[in-house]
Amino acid sequence: MDFAIVVPLLAATVQTGTPILYATLGEMITEKGGVLNLGVEGMMSVSALAAFLVAYSTGSPWLGLLAGGLAGSLMGAVHAFVCVTCLGNQVVSGLALTILGLGLTTFLGTPYVGLSAPGFTPFDLPGLSAIPALGRIFFQQDALVYLSFCIPPLLWVFFRRTSLGLAVTAVGEMPGAAAAAGLKPLRLRYFATSAGGFFIGLGGAYLSLAYTHLWTSGLSGGRGWIAVALVIFAFWKPGRAVLGAYLFGGIMAFQLRFQALGTHIPSSLLLMLPYLLTIFALVLSAWSGRGPEAPKALGVNIEPEG
Amino acid sequence: MPDMTDPAVSLNASPAVSSAAAAAAAAAPAAVVALRGITKRFGKVVANSEISLDLRPGRIKALLGENGAGKSTLMSMLAGRFQPDEGWLEVDGERVRFTSSKDALNAGIGMVYQHFMLVETMTVAENVLLGQEGSFFVSPREMQGRVAKLAAEYGLEIDPAASIADLSMGERQRVEILKLLYRKSRVLIFDEPTAVLTPEEGERLFDAMRTMAAMGKSIVFISHKLDEVLSVADEIAILRLGKIVSEMLPSEVSSKGDLARRMVGKEVLLEVEREPVELGETILDVRHFEGLGLHDLNLEIKRGEIVGIVGVAGNGQKPFIEAICGLRRPPTDSVFILGQPWRKFYAEYFWKKSLSYIPEDRLGLASCRNLDLVDNLLLTTRQGFVRGPWLDKKKADRKTEDMVRKHDIRPGRIRALAWQLSGGNLQKAVLARELFREPRFIVAEQPTQGLDIASTEDVWRKILDARKMAGILLVTGDLNEALQLSDRIVVMYQGRFVDVFPITDVEKVERIGLMMAGVADE
Repeated sequence: MDFAIVVPLLAATVQTGTPILYATLGEMITEKGGVLNLGVEGMMSVSALAAFLVAYSTGSPWLGLLAGGLAGSLMGAVHAFVCVTCLGNQVVSGLALTILGLGLTTFLGTPYVGLSAPGFTPFDLPGLSAIPALGRIFFQQDALVYLSFCIPPLLWVFFRRTSLGLAVTAVGEMPGAAAAAGLKPLRLRYFATSAGGFFIGLGGAYLSLAYTHLWTSGLSGGRGWIAVALVIFAFWKPGRAVLGAYLFGGIMAFQLRFQALGTHIPSSLLLMLPYLLTIFALVLSAWSGRGPEAPKALGVNIEPEG
Repeated sequence: MPDMTDPAVSLNASPAVSSAAAAAAAAAPAAVVALRGITKRFGKVVANSEISLDLRPGRIKALLGENGAGKSTLMSMLAGRFQPDEGWLEVDGERVRFTSSKDALNAGIGMVYQHFMLVETMTVAENVLLGQEGSFFVSPREMQGRVAKLAAEYGLEIDPAASIADLSMGERQRVEILKLLYRKSRVLIFDEPTAVLTPEEGERLFDAMRTMAAMGKSIVFISHKLDEVLSVADEIAILRLGKIVSEMLPSEVSSKGDLARRMVGKEVLLEVEREPVELGETILDVRHFEGLGLHDLNLEIKRGEIVGIVGVAGNGQKPFIEAICGLRRPPTDSVFILGQPWRKFYAEYFWKKSLSYIPEDRLGLASCRNLDLVDNLLLTTRQGFVRGPWLDKKKADRKTEDMVRKHDIRPGRIRALAWQLSGGNLQKAVLARELFREPRFIVAEQPTQGLDIASTEDVWRKILDARKMAGILLVTGDLNEALQLSDRIVVMYQGRFVDVFPITDVEKVERIGLMMAGVADE
């Protein structure tokens, strides 16, 4: 493959990886607070629809984006209500959220299939886009891609350099310690789950507002599940999440290009590639092990004291 | 009861306060926190009854009592986790009512729990200042500076930048203490603080407690270790069956036996008779065990002897025991049990006259919490109750009945579920089950942890008796237990056997504490 093919492929990698990156970071925030949310797939799907509908009816992609984020937040809050307040099983609640979300999207979205809404379009970042190769790959994208560049460092600062971030970490590691320190573990978990939901929602919004500009069914296409796996692959570190998300973006973009080239390999096999890679990535991260482990209280509900 | 507010009066009113203690109380500064006629019931059980205590600045008060005497309940009320049914708490002479642990913390009462409440992935400074950072954005360097200053003030040596995961138990405890000091706690409660420490770390803790007392803090020290109480306490209060039965000064206690008698309410033996048993064939042979984080372990145990492994938890005891007991695979040709290589022994494992494991985790590994005593008996003895494909449950019922009667396991119902039994009774049931198998080799892990003195004695006797049929490997964090039971001692430190020596080697026995801390001079 020569240069002329590789650079567009890498640019497509960044674009394809972006929604996965948002969702992965969102799930990471949720899990840092000790809540496992398997509803990412459903949340992305609902957010994509919410974003599309708002952008479609108001004509503003930014309002659409906000709606996507809020839809994610709201579903995160539902999950928090079930798990944190009602002490429900986190796995069951998350799966239910996925099934509900996918069903709801199909039900409400069907009338809109094929319609298009104003979305985000690529523009050149002045100066940076002129850099050879890198400029084409990173700096001739849409606004949401540029926004996604800022989030991992901000998250790092949040978890390492702010009292709220430390509190969320503490509640995911050892809720008892957080409570003993006078923090409010339940409230912090609500916060982490809803804030995480917001980012997952942005990932969903990206799909309908930037990736496609029109509504089709099955937009989330398994990206939510990949995000859940990527959090493990990333060892709960924002920096590694970027790597993981682009790796998967790359595979997805490559798979599309490869199909377009017209090969003898059946497309259904190519479509499996990302999931094969998911399994491979998980095995790899388990092997290399010894890295920082999951938040200790991940998936464990906080029982009332006494 | 207006006169109850006067500490001196209330002390005189309680039954067994010595005149010296009363005199000392009268001379002491006013109580920071006082308990007044506190009663707490759980259903029909009275956990605390009419308890009055004064906690004074600059004093270390030891609260001594057996398990189930009500120490934890009492302290939970002080720490705001429970509310008393009758009576009240006073802080600086004012009546207060705590509805949460936060209230207690704000009132200046802090507790150092047995299980540390620390976030392992965060640093010392982050843990100490959690929830107290004072600003949204934080600077690690500034936080570490604050903690270092506080630590220096109280002489608690710690690296504020270190991650909790890298710290020893003693250091973690210091972090817990710093957390309370940072929150300006005036009363610090220590719940059996030495359970996880080496003797040397324990001494350092006592020094720190004295320093804090000298700086005006009021210290409450909960323990059932008599030596510690006598060495560190300024005042002693004894709790039995939910009541304060006596208060005294350490100077008034004539001996350890005296104190033990007051605690238990009857004459107790702190030492068990140990008649030598003739040694038989080799039961366990460990040769050049290398792996699982362990280095060149060599050990031979014969029938008729007890070998006690001592060491601070986490120095390799766990993997070693798990390898011996078949939970993990040891390196080839390093472990021989009853004359057979490890693989062969476990491939042909037979339930009777074999190996019995009495794990530390009574309600997880040794028994199933929601099964009754009969099913729990069958866990390891099932092969003894089968006829073809059928399980003879009637026979199992009868055998369980026998055991319950013979070993006095309460409540005396064979349908009682494992979790319904107290720690002591559950341990008796586990022991009864394992002894029923007539083992040739017994591995006992922390067999008396958390048991009261009477149950401890009982378990000790049974283990000593078992020597007649078996060789015994004892793992314990309680040095006294190791010294009482063992014929030989193995000291373990960082995956190595520092030394193996007979209990009669007085010089080495003296130095066990140092060896446990890894200070092994040649």
